[in-house]
Amino acid sequence: MSPVGVSGRGTLASSTPMISGRREKPFLLVVPTLGIVLCFTVFPIGYALVLSLRRFLLTQPWDTSFVGLRNYWEVITSDYFRASIASTFKFAALAVVCVLIYGGLVGLLLDARLWTSRLLQVLILLPWAIPPAIAGIMWKWIFHADYGAVNGFLVGLGLLKDYFPWLSTPSTARTCLVIAHVWKEGSLAAVLVLAGLQTIPRELRDAIFCDGGGPWTYFRHVVIPFLKPTLLVIAIYETMIAILTFDLVYVMTGGGPGNATALVSWYAYIESFRFLNFGHGAALSFTIAAVILVMILVYLRVLKTEEVY
Amino acid sequence: MFEVMVGAKRRRLRLAFLYGVSILLVVFILFPFYWVFRSSLMGEEDLFSRPIVWLTRHPTLDNYRYVFTGEIPTSYQVKGLMRSRVSQETRYILGALKNSTVVAVSVTLVNLIFGTPAAYVFARMRFRGSLRVYQFILMSRLLPAVAIAIPYYLIIKWVGLLDTYLGLILVYSAITLPFSVWYLTLYFRSVPASMEEAGLVDGCTRLQALRFVLAPVAAPGITAAAAFAFMAVYNEFLFGLMLTQTIKSRTMPVLIAGISTNPDVSYALLCVCITLAIIPPVILALLLRQYITRGLLTTISK
Repeated sequence: MSPVGVSGRGTLASSTPMISGRREKPFLLVVPTLGIVLCFTVFPIGYALVLSLRRFLLTQPWDTSFVGLRNYWEVITSDYFRASIASTFKFAALAVVCVLIYGGLVGLLLDARLWTSRLLQVLILLPWAIPPAIAGIMWKWIFHADYGAVNGFLVGLGLLKDYFPWLSTPSTARTCLVIAHVWKEGSLAAVLVLAGLQTIPRELRDAIFCDGGGPWTYFRHVVIPFLKPTLLVIAIYETMIAILTFDLVYVMTGGGPGNATALVSWYAYIESFRFLNFGHGAALSFTIAAVILVMILVYLRVLKTEEVY
Repeated sequence: MFEVMVGAKRRRLRLAFLYGVSILLVVFILFPFYWVFRSSLMGEEDLFSRPIVWLTRHPTLDNYRYVFTGEIPTSYQVKGLMRSRVSQETRYILGALKNSTVVAVSVTLVNLIFGTPAAYVFARMRFRGSLRVYQFILMSRLLPAVAIAIPYYLIIKWVGLLDTYLGLILVYSAITLPFSVWYLTLYFRSVPASMEEAGLVDGCTRLQALRFVLAPVAAPGITAAAAFAFMAVYNEFLFGLMLTQTIKSRTMPVLIAGISTNPDVSYALLCVCITLAIIPPVILALLLRQYITRGLLTTISK
């Protein structure tokens, strides 16, 4: 589940029609939902907090002494953490830029009145609809070192001398991950850009062209300012999604080669489920959650000030 | 913005360019689907040939037959050192698809049965603290999955629900309900309240008003909410990975990911699994395209 998209400005209907003379118990209708959500938020968070302050190795279950912030300290000062922060940062930066460009381009083409636009409007939902893990496997097979389509294509055209192990070379593995990520995540961005474009009043366009402006003037002075809030929203949202990327890493590279694609979520996962150090894992998860929370606050702030849609 | 421009020649050039880019995009979007489908129809000797075979010369359904019946495809019976292994786990895909479907449908029902009345209350009624409760439910979506994954695993293990449908259904309900409630609340509010008021005056209860007056009008919104819940669960990977252990409850993405990370995997069989697995979400997306597009816009903004 994506972590964002909250609020609805966090308000309730101001004028609530109430028919008097009947005893309603609206609270009862909310209880099941509230119960489930309560059980799976407050308790786990408290539990994770306790875990993160204790020594908790599944390999040494007898010793769960209180260690204060040592887990946090050990995690944050570890080389592995620093490496994962660096690769997460590089991955996220590349991914967000590419999603913005791809989403913008596709959005413009969805909005253009070409016969391909209607086709694209249908097709664009397909990558969005399938599981990210499956998307990753599809791309892994395309990038396969011996029988992949990319190698077959490039070698067939004579652009590449020999078959190349894209996913097991540190310098190309991240790019492959980004391509798969953009293919999957770009759909949402494109749909949002399309919606943004459809808010542009037609008169504005006609006015520009009447005054002798070309498509470039129109693009520069109408499309870009109109899309700015949308692009901003996409940028922040996609940054969070990119930071939390896990499924693709799991199926495509397993964090490798070396630790070239070991993003923070992957690190938190293997710390807990490979090294079985749940204390470290919990501390790491909290650190990631804190960063994401800050980003969400920024995001809500932006939504408020920019008055998108 | 593209259609106005001076000069017929430039115009034609620009159109050609736009069509060119569009077609490249269509290829980019569809290629992974094509590649997987093509691979699922190939024998191993075709699949592992160089140069790459783009369109198989001898399409065969043997791989599908193996997954359904266990009859080893003839292409695997070629003897010799290069003989590749048959990934037997692929035969579990039908079970995994069943697990995924049962869990996703159950969670969708939980969302509809509990989420719809809750959303109705938040859209139309008030009680002491209702705003707080609403905000709390919404805020719970802020938690990134990775932050709660470990406690979820330990809690589900502690109550003895690891590797059961119930464990998965509980966790998935908790993570999908906030979105459904929020989405439906917004949707219900966009429907004028006057309609149900007529029903209420005629003497039906709130629940009846919801069921017989509002629900038919809000059917598109409810359909979209159900589709989102179903797809979110059907596609989820991380929790499925941690909460399932055997094919008794293992969900589709977890099973397929497990098969694919085996270095000896037989890709043709893996591609059969993928093809079968993506049919439901792809059909849903195509059928409910309008609702989903509108729903997507709400997910990220508002």
